[in-house]
Amino acid sequence: MQQPEYDNSIVRGWVISAIVWAAAALLVGVLIAFQMVFPELNTSLPYFSFGRLRPLHTNAAIFGFTLSLVFATMYYAVPRLLKTPLWSPVLSRVHFWAYILTIISAAITLPAGYTQSKEYAELEWPIDILIALWWVVMCINFFMTIAKRNEKHLYVAIWFWIATLVTIPILYIVNNLAIPAGLLKSFSVYSGVTDANIQWWYGHNAVAFVLTTPILGMMYYYLPKHTRLPIFSHRISIIHFWSLIFIYIWAGPHHLLYSPVPGWAQTLGMVFSVALIAPSWGGMLNGFLTLTQAKEKLRTDATLKFILVALTFYGMSTFEGPMMSIRAVNAISHNTDWTIGHVHSGALGWVAGMCFVALYYLVPRLWNAKLYSERLAEVHFWLATAGILFYVVSMWIGGVAEGLMWRAVDAMGELQYQTWAEIIDQLKIYRFFRGLGGLLFLSGFLVMCYNLVKTIRASGEGFEPVDLREAQPARA
Amino acid sequence: MSESKIPKELTVYEKLSAKLDSKALRFTIFTTIAILIGGLVEIPPFFMMGQVQPTDQQKPYSALELAGRNVYQQEGCFYCHTQLIRPFKWETDRWDKARQYGPEPYSKAGEFAYDHPFLWGSKRTGPDLSHESTIRPSAAWHYDHLRNPRAAVSQSIMPAYPWLEKTPIDVAETLASMRALSVVGVPYSDAQISAAESELAGKTQADALVAYLLKLGRDSVAPQAASR
Repeated sequence: MQQPEYDNSIVRGWVISAIVWAAAALLVGVLIAFQMVFPELNTSLPYFSFGRLRPLHTNAAIFGFTLSLVFATMYYAVPRLLKTPLWSPVLSRVHFWAYILTIISAAITLPAGYTQSKEYAELEWPIDILIALWWVVMCINFFMTIAKRNEKHLYVAIWFWIATLVTIPILYIVNNLAIPAGLLKSFSVYSGVTDANIQWWYGHNAVAFVLTTPILGMMYYYLPKHTRLPIFSHRISIIHFWSLIFIYIWAGPHHLLYSPVPGWAQTLGMVFSVALIAPSWGGMLNGFLTLTQAKEKLRTDATLKFILVALTFYGMSTFEGPMMSIRAVNAISHNTDWTIGHVHSGALGWVAGMCFVALYYLVPRLWNAKLYSERLAEVHFWLATAGILFYVVSMWIGGVAEGLMWRAVDAMGELQYQTWAEIIDQLKIYRFFRGLGGLLFLSGFLVMCYNLVKTIRASGEGFEPVDLREAQPARA
Repeated sequence: MSESKIPKELTVYEKLSAKLDSKALRFTIFTTIAILIGGLVEIPPFFMMGQVQPTDQQKPYSALELAGRNVYQQEGCFYCHTQLIRPFKWETDRWDKARQYGPEPYSKAGEFAYDHPFLWGSKRTGPDLSHESTIRPSAAWHYDHLRNPRAAVSQSIMPAYPWLEKTPIDVAETLASMRALSVVGVPYSDAQISAAESELAGKTQADALVAYLLKLGRDSVAPQAASR
């Protein structure tokens, strides 16, 4: 069959968007990490204070960086997996520019203090409506592409993307229902306990359907493509896909243990969170077992190393998460830096790791040039890995210390650390090392940017994919 | 993908899956059903139980306090301060040593009945603020602290908020806020809304935020403690 025409220019747009927003997310992340050690860094300008920059950091990382690469991958892989060009190039551009407009509005309104105050759903209502619109546009385009495909079977990566396409709007719309009180001010229609329940149903599933399922789809696409080896087990794919999407939705209330949310909801959230280990590890094992088939290449191929570390952190954080949702553990971990460490072991290790895999895979192919330097990719890999470890380990130690200091009582049953400032003081060192970890991760990212820019500037020089199944000549 | 060399028996779910993944519409419908079940079990019961009733003494935020809550949201205070005391001795001891909130001084559902949105937070970098009105009843302390946290508590890592004292309250926005909240069920009367304008006249964002902080926990003080 003749190869259909694939539209690479839209994918290039998403790749550039991802790099720009990643830079914003990481720079702001490092700044606010150090603000928690040196409060003077907040300056006396409103726009640079922690409380306004934090939502900018999370939104840029999740919806700017990650989603851009999810879309890049979808626009690249879906037509190829279905052997058909994209249904509508026009809609793909409408999607892209409406998305860019959204993220720019986010980058302006959040530091200006306009927020719904719901974590990961901070954007005010006009931006929410814009998001709903381009999500519909994107869905039409993808489902029409699926409808007129030339390949009967849907590959497992597409299952995960379909789950993302249908779930996000449901979560997003229900959670964002609000009554406007002005152009950039609104109030949630839900109050108190109900609002909390719905917010974390959404909040946890943003983790599920923005940061897990599409990334698993990326793993299922890039890993076999890059190694030219089939996925280890289709059987595991089937079981872990259906159990993952079924169970994840229930886990939200583990964010609300020991709160006035009814006990039955808390218990459901806890039970299903613990059960989530099984499907999560199913995905991890499927990746690992595929990787073992190409294990000798792990020594020479930086992209494969990133997949290995990403899967490791996916496994670790999906073990840690269920543990933290057990009431007794949650009593120590909740509200502490441990949570922040947990989030970042997933976000930096798994999500950003797979995003880097996508970039190293896509950029040479999209610009038809060999990667400028494998060695720099290697440097990036080690800087990123060291950065994550610094970050996560310091947050583990600091977080547990924090939780234990809060509850420490002396022989008379009096609180051992009466004043809050005492505790803050002792956490300073861990938070400092967390900032250093972030700085390492950021420097690795900058190395990657240099590498990719050099690659892009060599555009058109020709790209030959290396067959990882064959022994490569030793590099000089 | 390449054919496996060893022919293997397809299991039941593999046969099912092979059927399903060639029928995109059906696949999407089943996926949607799978993801809806959890939410359907956990969310509708909240509405079937009816609105959470406010505690007996709980009053809606006054215009100034509401403007303060808007400032609290604007500055993202909830990223570092929780407003939820869990039922542990070491939390209740820390934030209600004098037992002013009765024998069970942890957070109850009714206290949040007028909160759109909830502001419990998920990270406690600074202390919990649920009972701030009784822990730090001094408005002067709060003004100093907002202006320069290090002057009030030398080890504090809180940002300074010097602009709050210089920024007047957006009166129109606050009135619109009251109207919007009355749409979603907060009992503001027309008289209250029309009286709000004079209450807010000449006030700054710092005045509002301090008023809000001094409202936190005030209506939950146990009656006997309040009359003491």
